[in-house]
Amino acid sequence: MKDSLKRMKQIKKSKLPELIEQLKKDYDLIGPCKDGDLVLYRKLEKDELPFLGFKNSIKSPKELFFPQTEEILRFRGFIDRRIPEAIEEKVKKRIVIGMRPCDIQSLLIIDKLFINDDYVDSFYDKLRENTLIIGFGCSNPASSCFCTSLGGGPFIAKGSDVFMVDIGQGYLLEHVSEKGKKLIEQLPEASEDMIAMKQDIEKKASKSISSIDVEAIPEKLKTLFENPIWEEISERCLGCGVCTYLCPTCHCFDIQDEVVDNKGRRVRNWDSCMFPIFTLHGSGHQPREFRYQRMRQRIMHKFNYYRKNFGVIACSGCGRCVAQCPVNIDVREVIGSIKNIK
Amino acid sequence: MKNPYIPIPIKIDKVRFETDDRLIKTFDLVFPNKEDEKEFNYYPGQFAELSILGKGESPIGIASSPTEAGFLRFTVMKVGVVTKALHNLEKSALMGVRGPFGNWYPIDEMKGKNVVIIGGGFAFTTLRSLLIYMLDDKNRKAYGDITCIYGARNPGLLCYRDELEQWKKRKDVSLYQCIDWTFGSKGPIEEAAEDGWMPINMKEPGKTIIKQDVKKFTAFVPQLVSAIKPESKNAYAIVCGPPIMIKFTIPVLTELGFPPDRIYNSLEMRMKCGIGKCGRCNIGRKYVCKDGPVFSLKELESLPKEY
Repeated sequence: MKDSLKRMKQIKKSKLPELIEQLKKDYDLIGPCKDGDLVLYRKLEKDELPFLGFKNSIKSPKELFFPQTEEILRFRGFIDRRIPEAIEEKVKKRIVIGMRPCDIQSLLIIDKLFINDDYVDSFYDKLRENTLIIGFGCSNPASSCFCTSLGGGPFIAKGSDVFMVDIGQGYLLEHVSEKGKKLIEQLPEASEDMIAMKQDIEKKASKSISSIDVEAIPEKLKTLFENPIWEEISERCLGCGVCTYLCPTCHCFDIQDEVVDNKGRRVRNWDSCMFPIFTLHGSGHQPREFRYQRMRQRIMHKFNYYRKNFGVIACSGCGRCVAQCPVNIDVREVIGSIKNIK
Repeated sequence: MKNPYIPIPIKIDKVRFETDDRLIKTFDLVFPNKEDEKEFNYYPGQFAELSILGKGESPIGIASSPTEAGFLRFTVMKVGVVTKALHNLEKSALMGVRGPFGNWYPIDEMKGKNVVIIGGGFAFTTLRSLLIYMLDDKNRKAYGDITCIYGARNPGLLCYRDELEQWKKRKDVSLYQCIDWTFGSKGPIEEAAEDGWMPINMKEPGKTIIKQDVKKFTAFVPQLVSAIKPESKNAYAIVCGPPIMIKFTIPVLTELGFPPDRIYNSLEMRMKCGIGKCGRCNIGRKYVCKDGPVFSLKELESLPKEY
């Protein structure tokens, strides 16, 4: 208890702007901002405060580390003598504040793909290395949330550098990493009462989250590739790709060259396994001709293949796909159906 | 730390049409920077992403063998945006390459064994790399008998015809070539499709009598394999070709006694990153770019049928 006391700092709500301006001195501060009906993560300008009064953003903050469009290189000249001009923009040191535990856990999940012993994705790696994360606990999880079923939780601090919790009159801030410690060193320590309040809120929040049983799913999926359930599950699916767009663990991308006159660039853009062109061969051969095959790929990839390759399920239970699917396909129900197959 | 997405400059040194239909060209590429050449260490079976800035990239199997110093050879069919642009480039054009990517043919495992190479059409490209590697003076003694069965629709569509002529003359490799039957109104006609290409027994290929010096046949590749009956004991079979050829060749090999862990394929998939990150080329949990493109039949049987 003593040790957790030392790690816990506190700040009154009225004092938060001071801390925010302090952080902005040495870092680009990125946080949630209200933009009409949306909450978008972007750089906070002078005197701007992070907007923390929301359940979770519709769009995940994965684009802060894996941008929707990212330049790989530039080139100029005639087509038979172009050489790549590497983009050597320095990545500024940044702090992202307000990220929810599910979105932080998603980064830990896709870290394993982008940074491993085979190859290191230098773009992603640089952004990860230069970013500190102040996570934010979910006191009021949404009905579409199911993070607790995937090893997460509304107040899980793993993966953040500092973890922040709203306890009413103020915030509790816990340092999770050494780098995070420095950010909140000067703040007063939290009292035992405050910590008890936090634990109370945490208990209530965790209880309110829907739960599904994924324990046996990865192994079970191994046997279900040819099962007719995929056609059932994908019957309503429009192939719109919203699930992949919003999903914080979806990592697929396309590479395209763009040219105007004799200047151009090579970029990578988000891509979706739910689109047919994703796997279309130059010869015209199409391994995933039907929508149910693409839906099957999505579920198998997240709940079986990724787990086999990297040891974790590629889902953090953020519930965005559940909340935004235009035909209400609920991945929790999909898992339930799979569980019920004899 | 090197950025795996940046292509390395490489120049076109030689270009030629490889097939009579002029849809396939062979490019010999050289690195302007000798350091890059030294770092590009590859094995037969691997591929590289050929990059044309402004058009894109194409994953192409490396046709040269690492025993051939000083250049990389690629045989490329004109199929889409990138390959069309590549076909329009001429000698001394500067382009890019990323690689070598993927795994390679089991050259270590096959040491001391006999090797049967079976190819169809221009899928023969990485088989050329393997054959040249094994036939190299430094390596030949490490392998047993080498049999090569290579077919195409017609003689003008065979690749590396000048080298095929040379290999025919060698004593340390048995080369058999074949071309497709001519089709009449009632199906394939059982006679030589061209002069000098002896028809096999079309209805019962296994009963074909192979005369001593006859090396050119009219047959579909799987049928020629049935006719030649390569010995499976202590042997590996490497099969590369269009899906339909592979589909009918595998049962022939199985019947001849080749077990699934001694039959190898090289697969292709739509690819972009080439390094197992963009997510599109997977078969089950394996990425064809990173865990392949070479797979044993045993491995393929454990993966979903999604290719």
